Amino acid sequence: MPHQVFRVPTPQQRFSEREPAPAAVERRGGGSSGEILAGFLAPHPPHLVYAENPPANEPRSEGGWEVLRWAYQDIRRKIREELRPDVIVIHAPHWITMIGHHVNCVPNPRGFSVEPIFPDLLRFHYDFKTDVPLAEAVYEEAVSEGLVARRMDHPGVRIDYATIGSLYLLNPEGDIPVVSLSCNNNPYFYTHEGLDDMERLGTATRRAIERSGKRVILAASNSLSHIHFDETPNPPEDMSKEHPMTFDAYRWDIRMLELLRRGRTREVRELIPEYIEATAAEIKGGALSWMLSAMEWPEIPARVLGYQTVIGTGNAVAEWPLVGNGNGSAYLGG
Amino acid sequence: MGEIVGIGLIPGLPHLLARDPAPSWEQLAGAAREMGEEWRAAGAEALMVMSTQWFTVLGHNFQARPQLRGTYVDENWYAYDYGTFDYEIETADALVRGWGGEAAADGFQVHMTDYEGFPIDTGSLVAQRLLDPQRNLPMAIMSCNLYAAAGDMERLGHAGARAAAGLDLKVACVAVSGLSGGWTNRWIEPREDEVSSPAHDAWNRRMLEWLEAGDSATALAERERYSEESEVDSQLRALPLIEGWAGTLGPAQIRSYGPVWGTGAAVVSWNKQQGGSS
Repeated sequence: MPHQVFRVPTPQQRFSEREPAPAAVERRGGGSSGEILAGFLAPHPPHLVYAENPPANEPRSEGGWEVLRWAYQDIRRKIREELRPDVIVIHAPHWITMIGHHVNCVPNPRGFSVEPIFPDLLRFHYDFKTDVPLAEAVYEEAVSEGLVARRMDHPGVRIDYATIGSLYLLNPEGDIPVVSLSCNNNPYFYTHEGLDDMERLGTATRRAIERSGKRVILAASNSLSHIHFDETPNPPEDMSKEHPMTFDAYRWDIRMLELLRRGRTREVRELIPEYIEATAAEIKGGALSWMLSAMEWPEIPARVLGYQTVIGTGNAVAEWPLVGNGNGSAYLGG
Repeated sequence: MGEIVGIGLIPGLPHLLARDPAPSWEQLAGAAREMGEEWRAAGAEALMVMSTQWFTVLGHNFQARPQLRGTYVDENWYAYDYGTFDYEIETADALVRGWGGEAAADGFQVHMTDYEGFPIDTGSLVAQRLLDPQRNLPMAIMSCNLYAAAGDMERLGHAGARAAAGLDLKVACVAVSGLSGGWTNRWIEPREDEVSSPAHDAWNRRMLEWLEAGDSATALAERERYSEESEVDSQLRALPLIEGWAGTLGPAQIRSYGPVWGTGAAVVSWNKQQGGSS
């Protein structure tokens, strides 16, 4: 039986820190040599990492979910051989922060993360570097955008499985510095109403990247439709059990992907609230809105590299190639 | 023959452990500590816990690791004195396995969670520090499945009560859950704290009045509407679970009610003997 969990109305109070950060204001309008090379829809189900059997993850599997994993292979090749970014900026829905948008400013997050929902699938030793100057710039720009934000500088905070999963699948070597953003669950997780703030966070992210001088890729770590099984198959990688949770959820996913493949991001933007309502889509966490906003809702065809369900949820790996696709970088900077 | 010596509801937010608390945080914490003292005085030998902050989605998880220890760093509140502390929990092995076994026998998919480094949720840790600060009571902790229907929660409560009854243990049961949501989404000073919405506040008080009057039928019937209109923590799945523990819910004692960073929170207790059978 399909279930929808998150159906709570948004709170009244959201904004209070609207004073611009002086440093951010001073720097706004300054140099703009940084650029966004590409954006990726990079779903994070721990099943995908589990299926890869990396040494950093303790559980072992027989594989599974190959369509998504092959799509990630394609992306990894492109990232390493063509894009060669300085930084990956990622927004993930499982670093849930009740108050404000947090930016991980710990220079070298490392530790052992046991996934609390799927501990049988993900017990991962993580170790990556943060691009601290860019992380701090994103924080400053977020505050200047009027968002409640915080620098997260406590090395003991466990990195969530969405961040870990997407980062691993995009760059298993872990050698590209990262900026990790939390999901301000309070306004966003339960409704679509807070997506405006996520778009503002995207704007802030773009400004920070522009003034950084860095070549950056963005990762929106989320699934699409998010209605799913309520019991786990045994073994989890038994692909004979895998299917869309509902036909309607599948239809919605494909409708949105078709629009994205045609570059019709404006329509997607308008449909997002209805999509969330109909399918409990995980984009309600805001990652996709954040990323597309950072890229100024580019009206270019997304490369959808793979679509597959994971415990019934819809997942797609997709790329918005802002450079190196014949379209040049005309879509950057407006 | 085991026995349930008390049943309670407490909030699981770490603010209750603050060095410089808001008046409501201090009162809520004091009420929870007092409830814990009463349970221990009644001979409680173990805590049976369900925390909404250990949320799961596939089946029902029971913490089976014999010893849990580590340093808690909250991913929200790490910058505050109450956001980091060391913890050590002994699992009530027979009780948790009994509870999980009874749930499985009822047809639930049960996972016994036994992993080094597993992140213990904030609510369970806060519950221990308030109810059993000397860490004398082993704990049997169950997750909160975000999809569980009220009837399932009640059956899981019954399963816990059966497990307790089958052991020679005196058990206190606590559901760790907030009331209304509606976080105040800004950095506040503790003294500024208030329930973020008058409508939420009114709903919280109404719900507590029903519970105090022993009108659990109305409280359970109104739970969905309350949840929809007040962003209630996990749709107050705690309440049907508590009814399952109790068998029949008698009048509650509302020990404290107040805001925690805009959300509603209460410490509530039920006397098992008053509540009826199991």
